[in-house]
Amino acid sequence: MHGHLPFVRHPEHEDFLEEDWLYEAITETYVPLISVFEGLVADGIDFRITMTLSPTLISMLSDSLLQERYLKHINKLIELSNKEMERTKWQEAFRRLAEMYFNRFSHARDIFQKYNCNLVNAFKKFQDLGKLEIITCGATHGFFPLMDVCRDSVRAQVKVAANHYESVFGRRPRGIWLPECGFCPGHDEILREAQIRYFFTDSHGLLHGTPRPKYGVFAPVYCRGTGVAAFGRDLESSKQVWSSIEGYPGDYNYREFYRDIGFDLEFDYIKPYIHPDGVRINTGIKYYRITGSGNHKEPYVAEWARDRAAEHAGNFMFNRQKQACYLNDLMGKPPIIISPYDAELFGHWWYEGPMWLDFLFRKVACDQNEIRMITPSEYLEENPRNQVITPSLSSWGYKGYSEMWLQGSNDWLYRHLHAASERMSELSRSFPRAEGLLRRALNQALRELLLAQSSDWAFILGTGTHTSYAVRRTKDHLLRFNRIYEDIKSNNINENWLSDIEYKDNLFPNIDYQLHQ
Amino acid sequence: MKILNKVKEKLKKIIRAKPVSLKPKKNKPVSAERPASVIRDIPGFQETIAVNTKFSHPEDMRARSAMPQELPSCYGKDKIILQVRDVRWLHTYWELGSQAIEELKNKLGDDFYRAKKILRVYDVTNIVFNGSNANSFFDIQYNDFANSWYIDTAGPGRCWCVDLGLMLTDGRFITILRSNVVQTPLDGPSWITDEEWMIPEDIFARLYGMGFGLGKSSPVGRSWQERLKKGLFSSGISSSPVRKEVKERSFWMKVDCELIVYGATEPDAKVTVQGQPINLRPDGTFTLRYYLPDGKQIIPVKATSADKLEERTITPIVTRETR
Repeated sequence: MHGHLPFVRHPEHEDFLEEDWLYEAITETYVPLISVFEGLVADGIDFRITMTLSPTLISMLSDSLLQERYLKHINKLIELSNKEMERTKWQEAFRRLAEMYFNRFSHARDIFQKYNCNLVNAFKKFQDLGKLEIITCGATHGFFPLMDVCRDSVRAQVKVAANHYESVFGRRPRGIWLPECGFCPGHDEILREAQIRYFFTDSHGLLHGTPRPKYGVFAPVYCRGTGVAAFGRDLESSKQVWSSIEGYPGDYNYREFYRDIGFDLEFDYIKPYIHPDGVRINTGIKYYRITGSGNHKEPYVAEWARDRAAEHAGNFMFNRQKQACYLNDLMGKPPIIISPYDAELFGHWWYEGPMWLDFLFRKVACDQNEIRMITPSEYLEENPRNQVITPSLSSWGYKGYSEMWLQGSNDWLYRHLHAASERMSELSRSFPRAEGLLRRALNQALRELLLAQSSDWAFILGTGTHTSYAVRRTKDHLLRFNRIYEDIKSNNINENWLSDIEYKDNLFPNIDYQLHQ
Repeated sequence: MKILNKVKEKLKKIIRAKPVSLKPKKNKPVSAERPASVIRDIPGFQETIAVNTKFSHPEDMRARSAMPQELPSCYGKDKIILQVRDVRWLHTYWELGSQAIEELKNKLGDDFYRAKKILRVYDVTNIVFNGSNANSFFDIQYNDFANSWYIDTAGPGRCWCVDLGLMLTDGRFITILRSNVVQTPLDGPSWITDEEWMIPEDIFARLYGMGFGLGKSSPVGRSWQERLKKGLFSSGISSSPVRKEVKERSFWMKVDCELIVYGATEPDAKVTVQGQPINLRPDGTFTLRYYLPDGKQIIPVKATSADKLEERTITPIVTRETR
């Protein structure tokens, strides 16, 4: 499971729309997942899950300002759901749902506070219990294949991330989720330098590798020359969950994502809970089930959705059993099936996703003995002998390569990003042992460069909607970087301004600019 | 002529519009909405103030001019960069400063102006490229305004290098800048199979098809094309993998009703609505808001004095009928 959000933190604005990405993900995805894990541990159910927590996500979850703001946010939602219970008094179906949200939001606040407002503590707990394997990601989720001409930046993305991981979890990361699953041959060398043992590619990354992988995507391979292991994505299991046509989340009994009271209710009533400018936004309170293919929607019935989630979990397990048996015969050894998903799919988009996962874990542990859950580290321990190939350039983005991040709407970025990378390398070469203010400036230069490299900005530009924020963010970080570069070159660092930028873009407090080379 | 007038009009508009855009932007926390003293104390505000109060203070202007709002158009380094977009397309961008162009003009004289601007794309698969040993090459003529280009190589699994140069009238090609070398990925499985790990074609074919989730019988090579058609890719942060809203027709209307019940009594009184206790505001007033379904609602509101000696009941009866 891949948990990532771009770094969005605006202390200079009291209300900032894009910060809601984090708050929604906490309430709808991370807290429900933690609850599932807690329940499994309490019931003695053995389970395994491998999960990325991207360094930007960890930084935001650990940030005291955002924690404070989340509490404010969840308190407002509790207040709203309380009002909703009263407003829907004469509509039993809705009143029950309002109560469901009230309980859910109150529970989210309880869990959040139980872990001292820092959910990273919760994930760490399950990692320490051996149930969860947390892997790292690019420091700011830069898309590596389009950084290949400046590998110094790929190196910085990987090493800053690995060091940050170590400072949070007390050990080196064993694996990495390459941002957007973007692999470019040669980058395995950088992973090896950072002592990372494995990564993932999309299916064609392995299937189109050279030479042919004997077991397709159903066994890992070692990269030629570096020995870093690559695991390939299985598309059959992905399809069952992801696909907009055949996937589980489209079931008519599941909750409808696109009907939110933030848009549906009377303006004056809902105004305190949407954006202060009056822009209607999702509140997270959604009363309808998908119902059918048309626009007519019926109220959600929690029991029906729950039954369906259990059924789908059973179906998923049954298909994996069949798949594994078939592959086992064909390969003459146990296959590994890699099913990666974006974390936000569970709970945020697919409301019943965490519940489905809960059923799946329980069924796999209790109802059968043909398949079991395993982390990549465990698999490699048990199966150290694997084929050696060079995986292919690949990503899990649209059309499988770099087009999502390299098209008419976003290709202008790379001229600036590459120039900044080159300048950063020049700086770290020129000042091998900087101290004091100069060191602070150099470290901040690297922070700004990394922030500009987030694939999220190019992605948003590529989709063509709400692009102004993405443009602004890229420009802001590049402009700040360029100014630091000029200031350092002219030996004229403005400490006030630097402090200001350090306060705003405050992630990776222990960053070392020397990692960029 | 008409078009020319239109363009002129547009230009006028743009020129007229320009000073407007220089006014302080109406961003969220504008200084006017908060006392300046408050802002100054909040770290992180410094840069924002510089943006928002542009031209209002001589001091701010200095901060402002130190922080440009647009990225530089060039970085003063002549170079051409080549990147892979997918199995057949490359993307290249370049920067060529005026100094390099001046030198070429001096060297070539009039020939410079008659020369064609060319991107020469070399296939350098399996060789150490020295400028003249390419397996093959093709030329693309680009125009004066371009500084980037998408190149269709139609060649998966090959290595490429690009020269930015000039084609002189006598057919000579002059290289100005040479790119890095890149390799396009294969568009199907490799034909190289490790001898030690030999695997029969039919078994690989089944594994290959299954790897793309397309069942057991897909022939090698076709599965990838099928996958492309089905669009089985991740969708990232701002779009839903679940499903898109179905829009039947664009015109629509919705109407609904809510009911507000409000009143006041002594602040220390106990009030129930339909038998359930409610909270009063400190001044003894209360407001309740309900979704109003079709049908009749009888809403007894009962207040009891703090000493429980007195009682008042008022019962609004509301009927909603939607036609």
